Amino acid sequence: MTQEMQFKNIVAQYCKTAPEEMTNDMRFREDLGFSSLDFMSFLGELEDTFDIELEEGDAVQVLTIGEALELLERLQEEA
Amino acid sequence: MEKLIRDILKESKQKYSEITAVKWLKKKEILSKSYSELMEQVTKVRKGLLAEGFQEKHIALIGTSSVEWIESYLGIITGKTVAVPLDAGLPAEDLIDLINRSDSEALFLSPKNKSLLDGILAECPKLKKIWLLQEEALEASDEKVTSLAELKAASENSGCDSDRPDPEDVATIIFTSGTTGKSKGVMLTQNNLASNVEAVNYTAEPGSVLLSVLPIHHAFCLVMDWLKGFSLGATVCINDSLLHMVKNMGVFKPDVMLMVPMMIETIYKRLAAADPSIPKKILADHVFGGNLKIIFTGGAHLDPYYIDRFAEYGVEVLEGYGMSECSPVISSNTPEDHKAGSIGRPLSNVEIAFENGEILVKGSSVMKGYYHMPEETAETLKDDWLHTGDKGYLDEDGFLYINGRVKNLIILSNGENISPEEIENKLALGALVGEVIVTGEDHGLTARIYPDQDVVAAKNLDEAAIQTGLQAFLDQYNKNQPTYRQITGLVVRKYPFIRNSTKKIKRQEALIDEPITAAANQ
Repeated sequence: MTQEMQFKNIVAQYCKTAPEEMTNDMRFREDLGFSSLDFMSFLGELEDTFDIELEEGDAVQVLTIGEALELLERLQEEA
Repeated sequence: MEKLIRDILKESKQKYSEITAVKWLKKKEILSKSYSELMEQVTKVRKGLLAEGFQEKHIALIGTSSVEWIESYLGIITGKTVAVPLDAGLPAEDLIDLINRSDSEALFLSPKNKSLLDGILAECPKLKKIWLLQEEALEASDEKVTSLAELKAASENSGCDSDRPDPEDVATIIFTSGTTGKSKGVMLTQNNLASNVEAVNYTAEPGSVLLSVLPIHHAFCLVMDWLKGFSLGATVCINDSLLHMVKNMGVFKPDVMLMVPMMIETIYKRLAAADPSIPKKILADHVFGGNLKIIFTGGAHLDPYYIDRFAEYGVEVLEGYGMSECSPVISSNTPEDHKAGSIGRPLSNVEIAFENGEILVKGSSVMKGYYHMPEETAETLKDDWLHTGDKGYLDEDGFLYINGRVKNLIILSNGENISPEEIENKLALGALVGEVIVTGEDHGLTARIYPDQDVVAAKNLDEAAIQTGLQAFLDQYNKNQPTYRQITGLVVRKYPFIRNSTKKIKRQEALIDEPITAAANQ
């Protein structure tokens, strides 16, 4: 499974949108119906799954799937 | 004689001296303090405040849960000083306003919020001292900004201890959303706090593990996680971030937790998304840490559906009801006595009455009033009866139920009370915003905006450009707000809102978006 698919499978736990229907411009809260806590929990799962450490302040500025994927890739490169 | 929080803590120190009182994570290591170690630090803070001349003064705290925060809070309220816990997630301007409005003369500040220092120093003239919540002395301390370690050291030079507070002295001021758009400082006395701790009908074995995941500046967390937990000799564990709530259940393996409904809903999504072939017991151990038996919930309505679902995983969810003004618990289901869908029986120290369906509360947990707000206090407290703003009823078995709201507050499922006017006042500053009403959609807030027609015409904006412009404005607004005050939905209206005869927007008709007739606008 690609990293992007793995990522989208985690997203899918918190919403009714199937991974294959997700697009990069979709917003977590407005389009996918995440609560603020769903989003925090999702970020925690990203940390565990991809072995990264997120700064809470930076991470909560992320609005869309595309931005979260970019952040993930950037943190992996920096690690 | 009425008990003080100081008496409750003293008893716990004597009874549970060697039991672990608090655990927390530093990097990935678990650190802890026993009851005797923790209470020794609390005494140092109390003596330090006296030595530094803060007897009977108001002292604010800004920071998320930490052992330093709780030592400082307990040091304040066990002496003749008043603690003002503030939400560290608020914008700097709001925090400065609350420090000033609460007449705070000193501040405990988390090192994580150090960026606030310059603004606070410049705009809070009454503040005489700021202690950073850290055990290391500052490299460059000055007369005004120093550290918790240095405050504790000051206590050792003096040795004098603060007098016992009077049971009717204000112990803490907790800010809560106001219906007029301005947050109100709820004054809770020593007796308010101590009687709420004693009246909540729950016992646990000393050393039972409690994981604290709620925001520490909230009355529910402060009184029930911490003060109640300490009264029982529980080991209270600190969740370092909401990112790690589930992971930390595995780390600390709690027996009991307090949550708001939104947390229960989020955890359930993870349970429901798991491979159905995994036995529920194994999944529950994986998600809940293996020992969790009880979740107490309050702050907002919980769909009883979750009570049944969590029971399948061996976890009992018990709903209660309260508000900061009642220190905070008014009623609660208990392991021995509960009814799904209800918010439990009223506590033994409160009386309940109803006025036009509104729940009224009287008793030893009811606040002294709102700080420096006599009109709001008089509106809420009438003949010692607190008007809750919630509608409800008692059933034939004495269980309380809620079935509506009287006041114009939005209650989100994370337990946050939102004053829509407060947010509308800020959003109204947007150039493209003509009229705005904020409504609550359970998980978040929606802004319903009628665009300013002069701006639309001047810039020749089409529908898509209006939507994009307003969304960009909301994104900018959201950046400076804590998550619970962010706007997550936007509805661009075609027509202005319906107004009453005094030209105020009819909030209850805010969802109607139709051409206005003369008859409608009355």
